[in-house]
Amino acid sequence: MLEPPAHPRDTARGRLPFPDGAAKHWILSSIIWLTVVDLFGLVLATEFTSPEAFGAISWLQFSRIRPSHVNGVILAWLSMMYFGALFYMLPRLCGTRGMWSERLGIWCAWAWNLMFLLGVVGLLTGHSQGREYGELIWPIDIALLVIWIANVVNILATVAIRTIRPIYVSVWFFIASPLWLAVDYAIGNVIWRPGNVWGAPSGALTGSLSDAMLNWWYAHNLFGLWLTPMLIALTYYMVPRVTNTPLYSYTLSLVSFWGMAFFYTGVGDHHILQSPTPAWLKTIAEVSSWMLLVPVFAFTINILGTMKGNWDKFFTNLPLRFTLTAFFFYFLVNIQGAFEALQPFNRLTHFTNFVVAHAHLALLGAFTILGMGVIDYIVAQVYARPLWSRSLTEWMYWLVVVGFTGFFTVLTLAGFQQGLEWEQGVPEVNVLPQLHAYFIARGVFGAMIVLSGIVQIVNIGMTIFTDTHERRRRETIAVAETIAPPVQA
Amino acid sequence: MNSIEPDERIPRGWARRPRERMLITPLVAGVGGLLAFFTVVAIVVWLPIHTFDPPASSDWAPLAKVAVKGRNLFAQNGCYVCHSGYSRPQDVRHALYFLYPKISQPGDFFGSDQSPNLLGTERTGPDLSQEAGWHPDDWQRAHFYDPRFVDPMSLMPAMKSLFSDRQVEELISFVQMRSGKSGLLRYAGQLYAKHVAITNQGFQPPPVGFKGVHAKIQEGADRKVPAGQLEEAPNLSQIDRSYWLAGDPLPVTEGNLLRGKQVFLERCVGCHGPKGNGKGPAASFMAPPPADFTSADDACCGGDTGPGDFYYRILRGWPGTAMENFGERLSVDDIWRVVLFVKTIPNHTLRRDVIPEPKDYIVWQPSKELLAWVASRQKLPSNADFVKKPVTDPFMQEAMRIFPGLAPGDRFFLNGTTEPLSLDDAAKAIRTIYEDLLNRAWADAKARGEKLPPEEQKLIPPEVPGQQ
Repeated sequence: MLEPPAHPRDTARGRLPFPDGAAKHWILSSIIWLTVVDLFGLVLATEFTSPEAFGAISWLQFSRIRPSHVNGVILAWLSMMYFGALFYMLPRLCGTRGMWSERLGIWCAWAWNLMFLLGVVGLLTGHSQGREYGELIWPIDIALLVIWIANVVNILATVAIRTIRPIYVSVWFFIASPLWLAVDYAIGNVIWRPGNVWGAPSGALTGSLSDAMLNWWYAHNLFGLWLTPMLIALTYYMVPRVTNTPLYSYTLSLVSFWGMAFFYTGVGDHHILQSPTPAWLKTIAEVSSWMLLVPVFAFTINILGTMKGNWDKFFTNLPLRFTLTAFFFYFLVNIQGAFEALQPFNRLTHFTNFVVAHAHLALLGAFTILGMGVIDYIVAQVYARPLWSRSLTEWMYWLVVVGFTGFFTVLTLAGFQQGLEWEQGVPEVNVLPQLHAYFIARGVFGAMIVLSGIVQIVNIGMTIFTDTHERRRRETIAVAETIAPPVQA
Repeated sequence: MNSIEPDERIPRGWARRPRERMLITPLVAGVGGLLAFFTVVAIVVWLPIHTFDPPASSDWAPLAKVAVKGRNLFAQNGCYVCHSGYSRPQDVRHALYFLYPKISQPGDFFGSDQSPNLLGTERTGPDLSQEAGWHPDDWQRAHFYDPRFVDPMSLMPAMKSLFSDRQVEELISFVQMRSGKSGLLRYAGQLYAKHVAITNQGFQPPPVGFKGVHAKIQEGADRKVPAGQLEEAPNLSQIDRSYWLAGDPLPVTEGNLLRGKQVFLERCVGCHGPKGNGKGPAASFMAPPPADFTSADDACCGGDTGPGDFYYRILRGWPGTAMENFGERLSVDDIWRVVLFVKTIPNHTLRRDVIPEPKDYIVWQPSKELLAWVASRQKLPSNADFVKKPVTDPFMQEAMRIFPGLAPGDRFFLNGTTEPLSLDDAAKAIRTIYEDLLNRAWADAKARGEKLPPEEQKLIPPEVPGQQ
């Protein structure tokens, strides 16, 4: 697409200027995980409409699939996609020929897949620490951290051997975000207290409320210090790159970087805003949740400024369309989140499906849609060929966008319904029949999302296994011949 | 002017171009980013964890060893994804018949066995922080086996494939001990009421674990009624006496009966069965088994089957049996409609496609014996001024909750035994059970080497949130 075509000499030898071995491994693993975790979600949606759907299969029970879904989305799908994109972008931004060690990156990808596979088998068989977002058992936590640190070393070493001295905005996040998350994960999972290593109690503080405060500080920073900064880094790469426009403002990107570091780290307690935890901590969480809008707006203005005059590409370039759709949902989720962190609003929506809708707005609407677009972009670049089918990519876009929007809408409505009923003193079980229609709609929209992931697997797979470049050339020649038939001798 | 002449007196850094000044180095991004991060961590993680150490609340109680095992099962199997573990101020409902959960206090979470936290973030199911003692163990067993056995509207996954018999007992133990002293008090009341119910009607204790699924539905034994006592007297003692002779306030119309049938099918068939004969799928777990509504004799002439008796049991539940408190979930009108409908069941109105009609309704008439019994209760010297005076002793409060039909002066015997039944006996028994539960949990916590509040804390009596 916009990347200059590979040098003929390189392609002749079957080699590209960037090896991208690590990027390929992480990216291709991630699209398989996307469908796996989507299917987990579909199982959950089915169990909301018919709890007996999977009979007596213990590992398909709701309470075991839910943690697998949540952990899988964050640690298998999104983290692998992010590392893949990082391994693709970082050498290009640093002017190095590949990562410091592509081989290490590839090993880490296999290790990560194995680690998470074992982790998810553990969760499905009841080996869980029982702390939300920190369910993986201690040995898996340690394996995850070891691989993570290997990746961090790889990233820092690549930055150290860079040939382009000034580092671009995305690289700031590529350096800081994995570091933040490594510390966040280690502290948040209390890895110094292994306890019962195959289950609970393990990896938790002794006091229930202390543990809850730590748990939610950690859980929120999975988004705040890893998923979100990486979304920003990828958007800062994609938008200027695809539109071929310099970034609108460096100053604003500084605001978004430091604002994120200071304000995102302290919002965790808004998840337990009405629990008996210290009031001052709740105040910090509420204020930080609103201060967060400073880096968010800085980022938003920066991207909109860069897009000025480039909006035609939104309609023609699919990866850019994915990126900007995700960008829009990201903006929305922050506004929504700021309100949810306020006591009066939280009173109404907490514990309801409104929160589930909000979580999906971030993880599906923003991060996943971004990831799907970035993957389409990177695969085309790495394999130096157009995607197999543009119309499948369009299908993928509309399936996930419509599926998600519908999903988000029904869950938001269901959330208000629950909140308003509970406020009247109606007990939870009496509200369930009222939610049935919403739950069915959620399943249908969810199926569209699953389908979108499967479409992507097909499209990417066919791109890799057929020489779309050659096919495209033949098609172009055929079109050219109909327009201007070759002159017969 | 694009170029700036470097001024000798200004340090070099100041003379950089604006664009250059914006750049940050990897060191600044990495180390600076971590510094910012740790600054905030110190404030929002280290500080609260090291300064927030609330003392145990007066309601706090430790968990017994078996309950701790249950807690771990609860965590490992992800139960917290649908059930929260604290109640918020707005969860305390100010309505007449609700369960009155109390607001969770910081001191309720004292103790080093409360790990990991189980606060939760979603409520597809109800909050469980105050669940202890609201349901008897046999109800819990049937519910864990398949929640739709006892609540056809539930979305909870069936636990039959997840837990062994032993594990399910551990889970139940956790559920029954997790709500502090007030929960232990309710549980003690529940255990005592269970003893009264099965002794009085001649049942064996319910099967443990999931064994109930293969068990036979128990048949009660005929028991010798103590001389001068009504056979249903112990049952009536669990119903507020103002309901003993009450009639239906609603007219017997087709509409009311049909709505009653609908509610019955939605809520009651798990235990009472789709035929209303008390042989629902949950019945084999329970002792006493669920009531059979198919006998016309009972409907017209039973000693404790008047409309008011049925209404009260649906409204407040029947402690000691698996009959739940539906006052929170059904409107008063709907409860009366169910009562109307139940009186038509002997005429086969539960058959599919049958619309209950007013002619199917069996009118209940108090028997002479019942009227005589009621009169004799009123005439007792100490009952003449039977008013529910505010009682401060929590054990007596619990006894009065379970036996609202007993007046302070009532004293009689359980059928077939010489075991006395009175408020004083009940309060004493509940106290014994409560203290036993608390002492064992305390000893277990001590054996685990946990941080415990001073021993005197044990003596603070439990609070009874929001009870009469």
